[in-house]
Amino acid sequence: MARNKYDVDETLQEEFNFSHLKRLGSYIKPYRTDMLLTIFLTTVSSALGMLTPVFLMNIMDVLIPKRDIKGIVIYCVILLLIYLAISLILAAKTTITARLGQNIIHTIRSDIFNHLQELPFSYYDDKPHGKIQVRVVNYVNSLSDLLSNGIVNTITDLFSLFFIVGFMLYVNVRLTLISLMGLPLLMLIIFIIKRKQRAAWQQSSNKLSNLNAYIAESINGIRVTQSFTREEENTRIFNKLSGEYKNAWMKAVRWNFILWPAINNISTWTNIAVYVVGIAWLDRGMQGITAGVIIAMTGYIGRFWAPINTLANFYNSLLTAISYLERIFQTIDEPVLVKDCEGAEDMPMIKGEVEFKNVSFGYEDNVKVLNNISFKAKAGDTIAIVGPTGAGKTTIINLISRFYNLDSGEITIDGIDISRVKIKSLRKQMGVMLQDSFTFSGTIMDNIRYGNMEASDEQVIEAAKTVRAHDFIMKLENGYNTEVNERGTRLSVGQRQLLSFARALLADPRILILDEATSSIDTETEILLQEGLSRLLANRTSFIIAHRLSTIKNADCIMYVDGGEIKEMGTHEELLAKKGLYYELYMSQYKFLQKN
Amino acid sequence: MINIYHDIFEIFMYLFATICSCLSEYDRNSWLLKSRLMTDICCISLITITGTALNIIFNITLIKIYIFFHYKENIIRKTYSIIFTDKSFHGYAYPAVLAGNAYRASLTKEGVNMTAWQWFYSFLKKYRFKLIFALFLATITSIIAIVNPYISGIIVDDIIMGGKREILSAMMIIMLVTTLLRAVLRYWFTMICEKASQDLLYTMRDHVYRKLLAQDFYYYNNSRTGDLMSRQTGDMDAIRHFVAWVIYNSYENILLFVIALVMMFVVDWRLALLMLTVLPLTALAAFKQMNAVKPAFRNIRKQFSSLNTAVQENISGNRVVKAFAKEEFEKSKFEQENDAYREAQLKAAGIWKLYVPIFEFLANVLSIVLYLIGGIMVIRGDMSMGKLVTASGFLWMLNMPLRQAGWLTNDVQNFLTSVDKIYQSIAVEPGIKNPENAIKIDRLRGDIEFSHVGYTLDGNVILEDINFHVKPGQTVGIVGPTGSGKSTLMNLLCRFYDASSGEIRVDGTDIRKMDLHDLRDNIGMAMQDVFLFSDTIEGNIAYGRPDCSFDEVVAAAKIANAHDFIMQMPDGYDTIVGERGVGLSGGQKQRISLARALLKKPAILILDDTTSAVDMETEAQIQKELNSLKDRQTVFIIAHRISSIKDADLILVLDQGRIIESGNHDELIKKKGYYYTVFYHQYGDFEQMKGREVASLG
Repeated sequence: MARNKYDVDETLQEEFNFSHLKRLGSYIKPYRTDMLLTIFLTTVSSALGMLTPVFLMNIMDVLIPKRDIKGIVIYCVILLLIYLAISLILAAKTTITARLGQNIIHTIRSDIFNHLQELPFSYYDDKPHGKIQVRVVNYVNSLSDLLSNGIVNTITDLFSLFFIVGFMLYVNVRLTLISLMGLPLLMLIIFIIKRKQRAAWQQSSNKLSNLNAYIAESINGIRVTQSFTREEENTRIFNKLSGEYKNAWMKAVRWNFILWPAINNISTWTNIAVYVVGIAWLDRGMQGITAGVIIAMTGYIGRFWAPINTLANFYNSLLTAISYLERIFQTIDEPVLVKDCEGAEDMPMIKGEVEFKNVSFGYEDNVKVLNNISFKAKAGDTIAIVGPTGAGKTTIINLISRFYNLDSGEITIDGIDISRVKIKSLRKQMGVMLQDSFTFSGTIMDNIRYGNMEASDEQVIEAAKTVRAHDFIMKLENGYNTEVNERGTRLSVGQRQLLSFARALLADPRILILDEATSSIDTETEILLQEGLSRLLANRTSFIIAHRLSTIKNADCIMYVDGGEIKEMGTHEELLAKKGLYYELYMSQYKFLQKN
Repeated sequence: MINIYHDIFEIFMYLFATICSCLSEYDRNSWLLKSRLMTDICCISLITITGTALNIIFNITLIKIYIFFHYKENIIRKTYSIIFTDKSFHGYAYPAVLAGNAYRASLTKEGVNMTAWQWFYSFLKKYRFKLIFALFLATITSIIAIVNPYISGIIVDDIIMGGKREILSAMMIIMLVTTLLRAVLRYWFTMICEKASQDLLYTMRDHVYRKLLAQDFYYYNNSRTGDLMSRQTGDMDAIRHFVAWVIYNSYENILLFVIALVMMFVVDWRLALLMLTVLPLTALAAFKQMNAVKPAFRNIRKQFSSLNTAVQENISGNRVVKAFAKEEFEKSKFEQENDAYREAQLKAAGIWKLYVPIFEFLANVLSIVLYLIGGIMVIRGDMSMGKLVTASGFLWMLNMPLRQAGWLTNDVQNFLTSVDKIYQSIAVEPGIKNPENAIKIDRLRGDIEFSHVGYTLDGNVILEDINFHVKPGQTVGIVGPTGSGKSTLMNLLCRFYDASSGEIRVDGTDIRKMDLHDLRDNIGMAMQDVFLFSDTIEGNIAYGRPDCSFDEVVAAAKIANAHDFIMQMPDGYDTIVGERGVGLSGGQKQRISLARALLKKPAILILDDTTSAVDMETEAQIQKELNSLKDRQTVFIIAHRISSIKDADLILVLDQGRIIESGNHDELIKKKGYYYTVFYHQYGDFEQMKGREVASLG
């Protein structure tokens, strides 16, 4: 899939799909007792509600003419009790529906989030992060109302609809049929506007997603924006996106607003039809038509359309929700490309022998990044990978952790094909320090401990000392308890690299992978760091990518990679003697000295 | 008449209390006091004249609205306590003071001590006439709504029972027309409200976004992305709901209630007064609910932010999560936030579940009161049966609004919490902003002088007594250990932070006196921590000059040695890169960032560790390109590799925030200090290499 950016709508060509509803139903299922209980309570309360007019009528028609004050008082006490009961039921219902809705939302949110954890890098690389986020947070939230009150009210309304139609049929079949004639008309209207309405809401959710993506980027890229004084231009783009969202919303909401007037009009028309036809039949003396029947009928029509109105509202919010729901389900259904194969077992304790056998790989189908690479690293070796930028160095080490699936070939660790073991058991034994150091918002202690949750404070500090981060951490206002935020803005890049270095070390990995781990660290610190490291790395395999060659000189094996192939391989001395590419590279750093 | 005299007396009593409270509060600002008293008196007399029955309804609304908007203000709290403790609560005077306060608040200067509500109102103001018009249409719609039942009555009584068949068609037409009219009007005013809400939101988003962009680094250092995003999304939605729905819905309900009450008064004033007994209780319940549910809503907003942050960080840090196989940990961390959000929601529901039934009950009790007292009155002969029947016909109009009151109170409080949240996020004035009477500059020459510059953050000395002078066109290299203050030095020059002491002069002018925009416009910075936008490569390079030509983009990319690899990408310059430039290697990102800075053609170019992830060969080429054009710009290069800075006119060695060595390469080598050590560590084996070279040749 092509990459997506903030001002490109993510297209989703899909018709209104009832399977979404079915699927939503499956989320409700675990709470069906709650659901039934609410419906029961609502039914009881409306039954009680229907009783009250009887009492009131009695007061008016019987007790007042009889001047029975005592009777009135008794009736009023009974009414008071009924109202009390109705209120209590309402309280119970409010509690249960809130719980119901929140539980369902909670489950959906967990599902989408948990699935996101399984998705590969490429999923995150393909789209602005704000667009993923909006699905987990905002979209799921907008289902809340639909799921709590919406469904309960709808079911209760459907019940009352059946009752009312029953009553109507009981009173007069022919007039009932006439009054039901409005229904097909309503269906027709709903059918006509449905497609537009749905497209409009899809559009609106797209625009919201775009806006959200842009806000997220604006916040994360604020330093660049301010240093390039792009505020005006960004505001213009923001307003464009914001305006698009506004317009999409207005377009969509228009369709929702049409429904109410439509129902209201249809209801009046049927009322008129019943009056006209009813009176005509009455005058002709048709059997079964009396003045009372007509009055009763028009009374029922009012009650018949009220629940239809709520149903239509539900339908409206359903259509809105579906445009969010399909996005949520789309994410949950996103195939997990890198996953444990069937019958995968835990990776046993890694000794550290890594072998690439004819490995080919490309991020996109037609562009090969690695081409038939083979090499073998002995357990405990330090392998350095050098080469021009974009040569495929990072790709090689990404494949060792199985962040991607190979196109062809095989990677084995201790002779075991890594695609046959459980991914997590593999990655848990690797300490990877990525090119981009990332800090989570929390204390520095927490950030280092991320490598190993069980580590004690002492162990964390020990790791920090090893990578020479201890000193600068102690100088911060609260030492290890200093809060940093996710952009790590309080720390310099070098300091952040040291933190993620410590994090990787704390994981006590069997294989350590350092991708430009020290690029922003000064040479002096690096030398100290390497001293500490050499002890630690004694019997662990490690892979190091670095551009500062002083960093890698002592590696057991240096690979020169270019164009997705290993061009040269050997120790520093061997490669220098070879006077090939590595020699060139090595000498190039001295070129500037010779210029003088 | 007696009633009115009584009222006036009470109002004077109340006025006395107000004057006392004002005097104690504002004795130092007598002029302010005068104006405040004047407005109070005006409002009070205005409201007194307005009348009795309607007035009370009005008061309730005012109380409901204003108490919560202004309760923080001291004077309100004071008068409030006077009113309630002295038991002299009289519907007229209290809202008068409140209204007076609101009016006074509008007199105070904008931006100074604005409350969240005032801030919101400054946006709403623009749409007030539209909204008032919408409410006017809503009024008509509500009145029309009474027509159809009335016609139904005629049909039943006169046509079916009375046999007046000839008016049937006329009635039918009226019914049809009114329904159609009502439908049109309703559609119209709901659309007006919706449009107003969207327009308002649009302006507000713009405002908040601008504020956000103007915030300084301190602000961003201390806030989480997820929190800031929540203000722009979730909280904005609460405002939309309020303007688009809550306003007219509250109005309709109040209107319905007022109409019903007026009708009741027409029927029998005693019955109407009876119905009024329920009002203080409703107001009290609404007031209590408002207060009770407030912390709950705050908590929801807080948890929403946390949830947002948790998700946002997880997505941003997805690579780390996977690298450490911490998926399960992330899930459990998220689960906590997810749980907490649910709990917050349920807690709020737990509060309104107590109040919503109370309103329901109060609404229902109305009918009991009516039938009980009304019935007794009829039996005693104090009232006719017909009146009771008519009155009971209006009962539903009184019931409905009361039933809604609980939900509307919820909505209002939710809205207020959100406004408060948004306002808090933008009320912070950025510490670094354009100075007054800023000196406008067109193009800087690039003469830079740091004199005794120091920078302290949270008590930590980051930079101390920095002195150096760079002439236009010179290149300055900066080296030093991690965290020695190199980037901070450059951040001070861009005024991302302001120096705590000393002065930075560019072309002889203190940068704090310059126009901030102009200053930054003259500086091109390639940052250490490369951030690319999810845009095409072209868009990213042209970030600083979105209107430049494609050729210029290519030229800049060529200087940065990025052109070749860009052309190898599937879509060349149109390749979309993700946020943080995922999909590109570190070196590639750095080169794009360099091209971005170069395209600006700045007077001052800052390269903060820009080539650390670039191989030597490429770096050498980039430097060659840079040398060929840097004749007109001043360049700062921060680097760890000596090769990057060796040719600089001036090299500064920073350690622990101080310049410990300075000079050019040769001078520093001779010094045999820090610089020499670094050089030796990086290139110490060069002599050895040369020796071998000779040996192998020999």
